[in-house]
Amino acid sequence: MDRRGRVLIVFVVMALGFGLVAARLVDLQILKGDELAARAERQQQRVVKLKPKRGTIYDRMGRELAVSLDVDSVFGVPSLVGNPRRLARRLARILDKDPRPLERKLSSDRHFVWLSRKVAPVVTRKIKNLGTREVGLLVESRRFYPQKNLAGTAIGFTGIDNEGLEGVELSYDSVLRGTSGWVLAEKDAVGRTVFPGGPAFQYRLSKQGKDIVLTIDSVIQHIVEKELDAALERSQAKSGIGLVMDPRTGEVLALTVRSGAKGRAAFNPNTPLRSRPAEWRNRAITDAFEPGSIFKPILAAAALEEKLVSPQEQFDCSEGRIHVGGRVIRDASPHGTLTFIDVISDSSNVGTIQVGLRLGTKRFYRYIRDFGFGSKTGVDLPGEIGGLVKDYPQWNEMSLGAISIGQAIGVTPIQMVQAFSALANGGTLMKPYIVSEVIDGNSGRGKKFKPQPVRRVISKGTHKKLNTILQHVILTGTGMKAKPVGYTAAGKTGTAQKIDPKTAAYSPRDYMSSFIGYAPAENPRLVILVTLDSPRGVVLGGMVAAPVFKAVAEKSLAYLQVPPDDVGGTMLLVAK
Amino acid sequence: MMERRWLTNIPWSMSGLAVGIAIIGLFAVYSATFTSQGPSSLYYKQLLWIAAGIVVMFLAIIPDYHTIGRFAYSLYIVSIVLLVLVMVVGRAGMGAQRWLSLGPIAFQPSELAKLAVVLALARYFAEDPRQSYGLTDLAKPAILVMIPLVLVLRQPDLGTALMLLLAASIVIVIAGLRIQALMVVCIVAATLAASVVLVPPVKGKVWNSLKPYQQKRIKAFLNPESDPLGSGYHAHQSKIAVGSGRITGKGFLQGTQSQLAFLPERHTDFIFSVIAEEHGLFGTGFMLFLYLALLLLGIETAKNAKDKLGALMAGGIVAMLALYVFINIGMTVGVAPVVGVPLPLASYGGTSIITTFLAIGLLSNIQMRRYMLFY
Repeated sequence: MDRRGRVLIVFVVMALGFGLVAARLVDLQILKGDELAARAERQQQRVVKLKPKRGTIYDRMGRELAVSLDVDSVFGVPSLVGNPRRLARRLARILDKDPRPLERKLSSDRHFVWLSRKVAPVVTRKIKNLGTREVGLLVESRRFYPQKNLAGTAIGFTGIDNEGLEGVELSYDSVLRGTSGWVLAEKDAVGRTVFPGGPAFQYRLSKQGKDIVLTIDSVIQHIVEKELDAALERSQAKSGIGLVMDPRTGEVLALTVRSGAKGRAAFNPNTPLRSRPAEWRNRAITDAFEPGSIFKPILAAAALEEKLVSPQEQFDCSEGRIHVGGRVIRDASPHGTLTFIDVISDSSNVGTIQVGLRLGTKRFYRYIRDFGFGSKTGVDLPGEIGGLVKDYPQWNEMSLGAISIGQAIGVTPIQMVQAFSALANGGTLMKPYIVSEVIDGNSGRGKKFKPQPVRRVISKGTHKKLNTILQHVILTGTGMKAKPVGYTAAGKTGTAQKIDPKTAAYSPRDYMSSFIGYAPAENPRLVILVTLDSPRGVVLGGMVAAPVFKAVAEKSLAYLQVPPDDVGGTMLLVAK
Repeated sequence: MMERRWLTNIPWSMSGLAVGIAIIGLFAVYSATFTSQGPSSLYYKQLLWIAAGIVVMFLAIIPDYHTIGRFAYSLYIVSIVLLVLVMVVGRAGMGAQRWLSLGPIAFQPSELAKLAVVLALARYFAEDPRQSYGLTDLAKPAILVMIPLVLVLRQPDLGTALMLLLAASIVIVIAGLRIQALMVVCIVAATLAASVVLVPPVKGKVWNSLKPYQQKRIKAFLNPESDPLGSGYHAHQSKIAVGSGRITGKGFLQGTQSQLAFLPERHTDFIFSVIAEEHGLFGTGFMLFLYLALLLLGIETAKNAKDKLGALMAGGIVAMLALYVFINIGMTVGVAPVVGVPLPLASYGGTSIITTFLAIGLLSNIQMRRYMLFY
């Protein structure tokens, strides 16, 4: 064997050695990783973690929505405690707790135990007066939401260790949280006793979390919540959702999910445990609903874009019903012959389905997906779902008819608002977002998030035609109660039958009443969606949800100092 | 003109890899020695050592390696003298006498000795016209190895002695030890090892000749869980550190095992555990990749060397580096006993850093001159 061959042998042996080491690394770091990480934690329990201060959440105008305040927590040092029973009894009075669990904690073999977290100032004073080294106080920070239930579902809340559990607190947890530090409390790795101040004293200061700025405007949020609560009260609906977006950017300006149940306070992140877990959920993004007639503008946009219909074209709706795929769909009352404008503004199912059949399954499906339905919008909130859109090969004629009028399809409120923003802004679908900026409180440096266009869905020309049609809804159609004083507006009403989970058929009694629209009609600043779940008495979206739109639009536009564009109520002329 | 050709011939990838590994090691030393008051002075010292090492590396490229080969025996004698000196006036530390004080700098002659032995062996075999050797031909080389080996063992430094023996054996194998002879050596070694373990009187004798801390380390390696707080502590804590880094690691300066001083010798022998804990499998995989790339370039050099001297020098150096990398990483992950050898280029320590850069310089030297005709 020559020299090169011998060198190769050395190489093979070396490669085997490296292979062995690599396999062992995989074994330790992947297969045994969790177990060893747990072991590391266990042996470091003598170490007291310093919790970082969580970052502040501001609204778009810099108003504080979530802040962290310093409060004291009480800990015990069992290794110093002489008489656990006596100490436990004294502490029980101060902390207003059962003495037995306290005694158990104080007689453990640990060097550090929490006795009571985040206590009131009066307790702090009493603990200090005890004058013993057996118990001590450590400053921790506690999350506090000064605006109480304002935008509660969007902001979310945190747990006892200040970890984000819902809402923006959860989706931006890693940003807000900061980095924890630690102090060697009693002993270090080799068992040396470590005294604070000594040369071996080890500590690492915690690093404060970053602040974030929301796109939410507290004033608009407040307006929406107030108006929605009033509507829930009037209509006795089970719950309601109000969502406001800037159609130019996709910024979420207000997001509210309210329960209408009598005597139930709105979700307040300061006291999350007083609400049911179901009330923590941000149903504006986590739950899909059948949109009903507010979906018709999507079909109209597709048909106009494909030049299959013109606004003035006549549709015969005199029969008041239409057969599609073996099912009869009716209008609320027969309309006679309608222009396409009136088909939408009077919300004729018969006319709309005729347009839907003309558009056909494949093209309609493509537009539905282009408008963002059936996929997550990517909004920066936790728990979003993509809704339910059947793949078009599974559509039959009945599906085509049903989907044309917003049935047999599941959409989330945020998707609806995103799609309508595209209709409002001239045809560009924008990605919705709720955090506009992350700021490092220490350095003052920050990162701004810019609006993100997703794709163009309709042309400017289609936008113009549809804009006229949707203004007619408010001028002459089903949405007249949505007309804001002083401003032009465009929109669509919806009154969708709800599926009764017991019978799996449409309920005769429960409706999803809604209104979605934008204002001002030219150059829109706000897209507003209002849904009311199962109102009693009057159920029409044009009657119960449209007035909420009107009030929110009027007040918010005035707050934003948008000059009125319809002072004398001459919108009709403008529309023409 | 000559100058430029000379520069373009330098194997930059080899020196680049070495510097890259040293810089990663420097960051790990920074983290391992970080205190609440900021970075420790060891970090700045290591920075200086690396800078000095890079200079040494390039100095070792300049002369033809044949010139260096001519000084091999002189270097060997100097290192023997230094090893003897260490026994007489050396500084003790951690139960062994390994360091020589040169003013403020502590110097470890055994680190230099292992390189000197490899070079001396390479020269010996290069000047021998035979192409293969039987056991009887190995008397002289054996003496060459045994003198420093005994001196290092007396310090005592079992780890370095073991490295010396293995690296020298590899040089002899590459030089042309006959397969039959290699077999005989393996069988004899295996029999000896077996008798140490299995034959009680021999076992007792060998066992008693070891220092108590050496006995403990061997026990701990064979049964790591027997005494996790005592002799098995190093290996145990290192495994926890490596494993708890998991895939992505805990982050720079965030390794709790090292920052809270659970990990012993973390800036020297266990620097790899610090990297593993803070950078996870990504970090360890990357480090392995870098070492493997460096060693492959070295093997390429040994394979393509122009002559026997080059091949033997390169082979010996690669073998030495590979052994150090394998044994060091092996002990941090528990597949090799804790014998206290540094991770080349990464562990804190001036002698180790400079010797390793010197070795890489020699490798580059041989690689660069594989086609050149100088005489």
